[in-house]
Amino acid sequence: MEKQNLSERRAALLQAGAQVSRNIISILDPEELLQKTVDIICEEFGFYYAGVFLLDETGEWAVLHSGRGAAGAAMVGEGHKLKVGGLSMIGAATGRNQALIALDVGEEPVHFKNPHLPLTRSEMALPLAVGDTVIGALTVQSVEEAAFTRDDITALQAMADQLAIAIHNARLYSQNARLLKQASRRARLLEAAAEVGAGVASILDLDTLLHKTVDIICSAYDFYYAGVFLLDETSEWAVLRAGHGEAGANMVALGHKLQVGGLSMIGTAIAERKARIALDVGEEAVHFKNPHLPLTRSEMALPLVVAEGENHARVIGAVTVQSVEEAAFSHEDISSLQAMADQLAIALHNAHLLHELEIAHAELVRTKTYEAVATATTEAIHWIGNKALPITVSVQRLRDDLSDLSDVAPEVIESLLEDLTLIDDSAKLIFAVKEHLIGPAREYMPAPAMIEDVVRDVVTQMALPAELVSYKIAPNLPLAIADTTQLNRALTYVLQNAVEAMQKAPAPHIQVTLAPAEEKGALYVSVRVADVGPGISASEMDKMWAAFYTTKGAKHAGLGLSACLQIMKQIDGKIVAANRPEGGAEFTLFIPADLGTQKPAELPAGRSLLLVDDDDVWSRFVEELLTNAGNSVSRAPDGEAPLSDFDLILVDYTLSGGSCTKVLAKIAKAGMADRTLVVSSNLRVEQTMELMRFGVRDVIVKPYTHAALAAKLG
Amino acid sequence: MDEEIKILLVDDERMVRRSMEKTLTRAGFYVVTAEDTASALELFKEELAEEPFDLALLDLNMPNFEGVPAANAGLELLSELVKLQPTLPVVVLTAFDEVERAKDAVARGARAYFVKGREAGLLELVNEILGTEAA
Repeated sequence: MEKQNLSERRAALLQAGAQVSRNIISILDPEELLQKTVDIICEEFGFYYAGVFLLDETGEWAVLHSGRGAAGAAMVGEGHKLKVGGLSMIGAATGRNQALIALDVGEEPVHFKNPHLPLTRSEMALPLAVGDTVIGALTVQSVEEAAFTRDDITALQAMADQLAIAIHNARLYSQNARLLKQASRRARLLEAAAEVGAGVASILDLDTLLHKTVDIICSAYDFYYAGVFLLDETSEWAVLRAGHGEAGANMVALGHKLQVGGLSMIGTAIAERKARIALDVGEEAVHFKNPHLPLTRSEMALPLVVAEGENHARVIGAVTVQSVEEAAFSHEDISSLQAMADQLAIALHNAHLLHELEIAHAELVRTKTYEAVATATTEAIHWIGNKALPITVSVQRLRDDLSDLSDVAPEVIESLLEDLTLIDDSAKLIFAVKEHLIGPAREYMPAPAMIEDVVRDVVTQMALPAELVSYKIAPNLPLAIADTTQLNRALTYVLQNAVEAMQKAPAPHIQVTLAPAEEKGALYVSVRVADVGPGISASEMDKMWAAFYTTKGAKHAGLGLSACLQIMKQIDGKIVAANRPEGGAEFTLFIPADLGTQKPAELPAGRSLLLVDDDDVWSRFVEELLTNAGNSVSRAPDGEAPLSDFDLILVDYTLSGGSCTKVLAKIAKAGMADRTLVVSSNLRVEQTMELMRFGVRDVIVKPYTHAALAAKLG
Repeated sequence: MDEEIKILLVDDERMVRRSMEKTLTRAGFYVVTAEDTASALELFKEELAEEPFDLALLDLNMPNFEGVPAANAGLELLSELVKLQPTLPVVVLTAFDEVERAKDAVARGARAYFVKGREAGLLELVNEILGTEAA
């Protein structure tokens, strides 16, 4: 009977096993499969409880995926899981890939303490394995003590093996389905990316381009929102330039901007040049607080990067894409959307270039206008200036006459003198204007020059306190091509401007920086003059270059910067004004660098020379050249040298420690004026005539090259 | 000085000419004026035999010997005058600050070069030049 019972029972179990297998083999949804399995096991075998555990991704835990009845549902809800290889029967079964039986309370009491399953008296744990790979375990529990035999295991294990294969198949199916879905989604996204690319590539108007882009992104991908941020001039802020729908329009109108490198996704994407995804509220809640976009649950930020040259790339902004679905973006989506962003970046870059071109054109028109105005003004002022010439002289004669009129009341005389002063002041202002405007245009003689020497001469001639100006000079500065007399004028205006701007500054200071510069393939020597004054207001920035514009009151003709502009144009250079981030204004003069085509000529040799000059860049240059050519060169910084029998005396007009005329007087007294050459980085008529009157051989512009020196001394 | 000092003033700008003439006349000089190079040279030659000039003040930019306005007309006249009377002190007047032209003028024999409008010191200069001549 027992034997028969046993064999019947085995047959019943095998049959039930086959039943389970038949029923589950075609179920492809894994969750449904598992639930059906536990239900069939309990119904067919009459067991108290059955449950299926599956290993998690780490393989360390067996997690309950389905359980019979209310107890099972409760435990699944609690996330019931057991450690693989642990003390539990499921742990042991999964750890060893081996079926286990616990037959009664007395024997292994610990296993039946589960409060959800108070009636369990026997338990069986069967591993679920595909080949050697354990994917989980099945628990079967009975209210009877010693309910399971070894034979039962064999029968139920056959069913468990079928179940394992079914689970495996279902998993493969869903994985395949997911892959398939991903692939088609990727294809769809790439298609949309191409559409964006094609749609925007030819649009050159920036606003049209940006709005079209966000609209295409939203319609093609069916996203909730898209927006394009572009970096501002400082590259510190990403400014929203276009946004989809009403929300976008509102945010653009409000000037929505995000700090680069800040906490926002856009800020991070730009700073790190990497796409960023935030998948749901829980994960990165901070990103979805935008009141304009209340429904956002996923967000992606894509940097807009354009290549510049072969090895350089520049970030110009970022695109935000937002979805109402949680976890809307996969990492695969990034690549397709980034392809779209790259297309957009190129289109944006093209539009940017056009925009820059327009700005450059506008600037050209502006300067041309100023130039035309300046030219017309120059003609007019020249004429007026010449007609006004006799005024001051006439005024002087009238003054003299008035002093002789003893029979006229003193108050009348005083009133007449006052009127004369007014007339005289007006006439002098007209002269000043004429000098400013005519000066730069005349006698243009460009030659290679040491800009450092020119700048230092200007500072010395202006008699600025030594502590006011500090220099930063790049090593190996090239020579520049300039008419140094005109450049001296321009630099004088700029330095004078800086001094006047700092009248109220607590610690006035001028930083002069000399460095090589390159723009559009052309080389320049740049002179930057930075002050610590109040800077230039936005309204002044354009107007200040125009003639007759002044912020300094009626006594100024307002022609300094206009004259500078004219001078810099004449020497094929340019002048640029800017405010310094740390405060104050800076003017930078760009002077074309000398490309050094002059051939060195032969210098005189075997002569004894005296060099009267400060120890500066020019005098060291001349001393070295002449010494190397085989001359004996003596130096006298202040001219206080014994005037022995020199063959040639070179005197710099600008001496920081003394006066050139005093030196020349001494030289003339010693009868050596005719061997003396006065050099100066700038020449003016009165000064030249004054120096010539000492009987010197010549007064010349400083030769700054071997060739020029040889020509002057030859 | 008992003997009157005779100055030739050449400038094509009427007001300038008259103004300078007035200043010099008041200072006690005898001033003869001309408004272009050709008439100035003719005048100079006429006077040279009888009573030569003691000094000449020449504008630079005025009609040249062909009657065409030229920037160097004064220098051409200067050369002619110095050729006729090598000791003649000449002051060149100009509206521009042009060093090379000034040096050119000196090379051609001018004693000084003056930028008009800065002419407050013109009388002093003339006196200085003539005083030096007298010494």
